[in-house]
Amino acid sequence: MENGKVRIGFYALTSCYGCQLQFAMMDEILQLLPRAEIVCWFMVERDSYEDEPVDIAFIEGSVSTEEEVELVKRIRENAKIVVAVGSCAAHGGVQSWEKDKPIEELWKAVYGNATVKFRPKPAKPVEEYIKVDYRIYGCPPEKKDFLYALGTFLVGSWPEDIDYPVCVECRINGHPCILIEKGEPCLGPVTRAGCDARCPGFGIACIGCRGAIGYDVAWFDSLARTFKEKGLTKEEILERMKIFNAHNPKLEEMVDKVFQEVKE
Amino acid sequence: MSNVYLPITVDHIARVEGKGGVEIVVGDDGVKEVRLNIIEGPRFFEAITVGKKLEEALAVYPRICSFCSAAHKLTAVEAAEKAMGFAPREEIQTLREVLYIGDMIESHVLHLYLLVLPDYLGYSNPLKMVDEYKKEIGIALDLKNLGSWMMDELGSRAIHQENVVLGGFGKLPGKNTLELMKRRLREALPKTEYTFELFSKLEQYGEVEGPITHLAVKPRGDVYGIYGDYISASDGTEFPSEGYKEHIKEFVVEHSFAKHSHYHRKPFMVGAISRVVNHADKLYGRAKELYESHKDLLRPTNPFANNLAQALELVYFTERAIDLIDEALAKWPIRPRDEVEIKDGFGVSTTEAPRGILVYALEVKDGRVAYADIITPTAFNLAMMEEHVRMMAEKHYNDDPERLKLLAEMVVRAYDPCISCSVHVARL
Repeated sequence: MENGKVRIGFYALTSCYGCQLQFAMMDEILQLLPRAEIVCWFMVERDSYEDEPVDIAFIEGSVSTEEEVELVKRIRENAKIVVAVGSCAAHGGVQSWEKDKPIEELWKAVYGNATVKFRPKPAKPVEEYIKVDYRIYGCPPEKKDFLYALGTFLVGSWPEDIDYPVCVECRINGHPCILIEKGEPCLGPVTRAGCDARCPGFGIACIGCRGAIGYDVAWFDSLARTFKEKGLTKEEILERMKIFNAHNPKLEEMVDKVFQEVKE
Repeated sequence: MSNVYLPITVDHIARVEGKGGVEIVVGDDGVKEVRLNIIEGPRFFEAITVGKKLEEALAVYPRICSFCSAAHKLTAVEAAEKAMGFAPREEIQTLREVLYIGDMIESHVLHLYLLVLPDYLGYSNPLKMVDEYKKEIGIALDLKNLGSWMMDELGSRAIHQENVVLGGFGKLPGKNTLELMKRRLREALPKTEYTFELFSKLEQYGEVEGPITHLAVKPRGDVYGIYGDYISASDGTEFPSEGYKEHIKEFVVEHSFAKHSHYHRKPFMVGAISRVVNHADKLYGRAKELYESHKDLLRPTNPFANNLAQALELVYFTERAIDLIDEALAKWPIRPRDEVEIKDGFGVSTTEAPRGILVYALEVKDGRVAYADIITPTAFNLAMMEEHVRMMAEKHYNDDPERLKLLAEMVVRAYDPCISCSVHVARL
């Protein structure tokens, strides 16, 4: 920190720019300004420097090109704290939904036989390439997620991950249960809370945009069993759970287990 | 022998949505080549949603873009509903338009104040304007918050709305909320007019003056608006939305992950100015008066007019939303949703997103997406944008490179490009 100002970089990889937009749209950002120096943030600052040292580097987006692999490595070298922001940076994002399809096949479906001079790669979370210190979850993250993380950093502390599911907030709000009462495939039980159960509040089943709860307490298997009882096939269950969790190492194994039980 | 010098490049254009750069190649006889490099990685939205359940694909499409996620959601849902032969009730359609207007207001305000204005006032970053331009920043925040709040109430949130579903909405706000929305819109009107006055004073660079073909969705019901089933061109032609492929050809260029498009073999423009050029006769209220008194600035021949056209639309859509809410309130109480029978079929929806025509073509089979084609306004604009940057470069390649870079960026920013949208979401 120089002159008591915290040096901040906000970097974008392949994404929708929604995390930055959410960050920029916080009214509180004006209160933060006197305490911060924006070193790199192309969405708002023309005088941005990608390769300068920063105290906190926020990275949005999945790593999806060779150039982005190099960029995240440089950011890591220059930053004291690296924060993966949003579902793309933390989990690979919706563009990872078909992560097992070869990229050549995806390319062909969209671009045909044409080529461009940049090199695309399958979408991956930032952590596949560099060490990430903290994560801010959500698609997009809530404004309060940014405030909490920044607030903790500014007082020399760090943000803790939420370790309970959307269901907790849903119950507190008293919304009717989408899974039990409406019978729809709500992902609330395996998804990290913090959104105040927004979608169930609108009568909409959770699609898991904040990603699976960490600390290995996302019980994909229990939920898969419930979905199965409601008539969903294994493929349907995996498809839905993979929208925001395609890179989760436990997912397939846990869902498999439920379907193997039947055969025995 | 003629020399070619090192290109003048901006690797990463600041204050636009997404990641793109400009490269201007200059030789002894002037500008040789201008390229807009679109370097943001591909996300293959069409390829990854094919074969997926319709509802899940519809939850993923808005993630193409944050600045216009509601536009993506609403257009995708309409294409899917058309494919299944379903038309929403009139009042549902009305409220969907109010939601769309929330997106329009927020997006235009962010573009004008956050991305465009700093260039004109000599700042690199809008946040630095806070002390000197308190009033302007205050207005920007108020209007932005209004647009976001409209999306919160009708769409569930300002980015990546989940509340729009096949057949209607998950849940509708109460009557009181809609009354409050009207009041807040009415209070915002003077601020939108102030914005229009402010932007009417900004320079529109003569370097890029010249004929432009404009394309815009022809609004339904002859009232200036967002939804339509025909596309009109400023050359006087008109064609049904379903026939977009016969008139607009897409092709891959090697310096861009986003495809370029031609209309009848030529670059063209879409966006607020294109809507104004093609459909100003369908404006009404205060916006109509402002259009009449500022016609010369809202002209079809300069891309910088797009900034002022967005400001005009802020006035228009704020008034329009009030009328639409009145129409909805007249039918209160409103059931939020009708059942949509899942059927096989093909549907095309064309709407006016904040940045221009957005096309969704979806084929549904057994409740799943069998085919998807999405074309975004920025993909339509890229070829024309490159032309205009070239025109600017031809006049300034001998100037200080920093000056040229800024002017080139300003041309790009006038288009309000949304690079995340443009990348790879088109299919051959």
